[in-house]
Amino acid sequence: MITCGLDIGAGSTKGVLLEDGRTLRATALVPTRGNPNAAVRAVLERMVEEENLLPGEIEYVCTTGFGRYGYLERDLQVSDITASARGAVFLFPGTRHIVDVGTQSSRAIGATETGRVTRFKMNEKCAAGAGRFIERCSKYLQVPIEEMGPKALTAAQPKMISSVCAVLAETEIINNVAEGVPIQDMLMGIFLSLAQRTQSLMRYVGVQPEVTLVGGLVHNPGMVRALENTTGLNVNHSPTAHHAAAIGSALLGYQRLQKLRAAPAVGG
Amino acid sequence: MTPVAAGMDIGSTTAKCILLRGSEVVGKSLNPVGVDIVRDAERAFELALADAHLERADVGFVTGTGYGRYKVQFGQLAVTEISCHAKGANFLFPKTHLVVDIGGQDTKAIKVGDLGEVVDFAMNDKCAAGTGRFLEVCANALGFDIGDIGPLSLQARHPVKVSSTCTVFAESEVTSLVSRGKERNDILAGLHGSIVNRSLSLMQRVGIEAEVTFTGGVSRNEGMVRAMESRLGQRVNVSPLSQYIGAIGAALMGQERLEAAAQ
Repeated sequence: MITCGLDIGAGSTKGVLLEDGRTLRATALVPTRGNPNAAVRAVLERMVEEENLLPGEIEYVCTTGFGRYGYLERDLQVSDITASARGAVFLFPGTRHIVDVGTQSSRAIGATETGRVTRFKMNEKCAAGAGRFIERCSKYLQVPIEEMGPKALTAAQPKMISSVCAVLAETEIINNVAEGVPIQDMLMGIFLSLAQRTQSLMRYVGVQPEVTLVGGLVHNPGMVRALENTTGLNVNHSPTAHHAAAIGSALLGYQRLQKLRAAPAVGG
Repeated sequence: MTPVAAGMDIGSTTAKCILLRGSEVVGKSLNPVGVDIVRDAERAFELALADAHLERADVGFVTGTGYGRYKVQFGQLAVTEISCHAKGANFLFPKTHLVVDIGGQDTKAIKVGDLGEVVDFAMNDKCAAGTGRFLEVCANALGFDIGDIGPLSLQARHPVKVSSTCTVFAESEVTSLVSRGKERNDILAGLHGSIVNRSLSLMQRVGIEAEVTFTGGVSRNEGMVRAMESRLGQRVNVSPLSQYIGAIGAALMGQERLEAAAQ
């Protein structure tokens, strides 16, 4: 039985196909670019093609993320908090604390060993502490996003950012450029300041090992290092953890479908 | 002849200089601030001297204020911009008891006593929301020059509410409002309203007074002045010298020092 999880985010749309609630068959990712429907279509097409499936073989579709209500052919929608927690525990069974830094919001989530959410704290009001801040830094420091992390790891003296606002931090960084601060030191400072903002969310929830990072920043070794240095904890991460919320929603879809099938048919 | 006192208000975005002789402004200047603040402060002083046809030796006292007040290396005194705004507003509008100052990077509400002293203040300098920077970022996103958006906002027919507080998110919101076919003037009206709401909460913290004076670079924006007035339900004082109020206050502080020394 194949279920599909779709995480329709502000930055990108992630999809996964899960077989029998156990085996990850396919993953796909495309930029959302303000058009969630086109992104969902592209993600589905890519996965169906990759796995040589007939469209009917996907038995259940569960959406999550910022744009989860936008896909009308869904069978179910779940909150991204619930989905991220499930997905993180699926990937790293020892996970009790999940950190998700998304493009437009970030969250810390406490979870049980079955991936049920116990507590969470979210920042969605302010770009400082969200992935958007990194995107902007990439633009004005002219370092492609994928190069920021590796470069930050070479920092000798990370230059911390004192502004708590993404816009005011921009001015601060431009002043640092003018003063000749090495780029790698600024990059590490950016990740450390983001890690500090994340840590305050984590503290609110109460940190319990293991900690798992999910979302787009799993690809960024600078952010992983910053988070580990700031919290003093080991942080689970893997490229697949970018899809954690999509995996979680596929799992929740699978469980729902099983329940529906087990229930006696109504009205004979 | 009465000596001249210079007030230098070095803000995050512009440097302002006022030369004051008695109660007369004899020279003024305004220039952008870049990375080399020391040089920009120097330049503001030179421009004001040229404007007044004066020499450096004619100036008896230099007072710095604003974010970059310690970069005025030729100054004799540095005073916070809060005190200077209170003093400057009292000089232009003796009956004012509340000053709202919206600058390029911060916003303040200052409660002022009868003599231009600070009674209380509330400030946002942590976040670009509700500051001139917010307007600048959003004006850029709409493809407008910052100088043009005030009058355009007044042409709005159906103001659109902008729900994001964060400047970065407001920028994306503006882009998506445009793509949903909203009129740019209507969006501008919403943006102006959002700044007014932010400054209103600061004003309420110190208490709203009968005579309010609006200062700082954003007070030059006519749309902001109208939006503020309609939200407050009262007129607000604005002067062509509004942007110089901090510098005027600084010059007045210097003048007091000169008078004290002369006695």
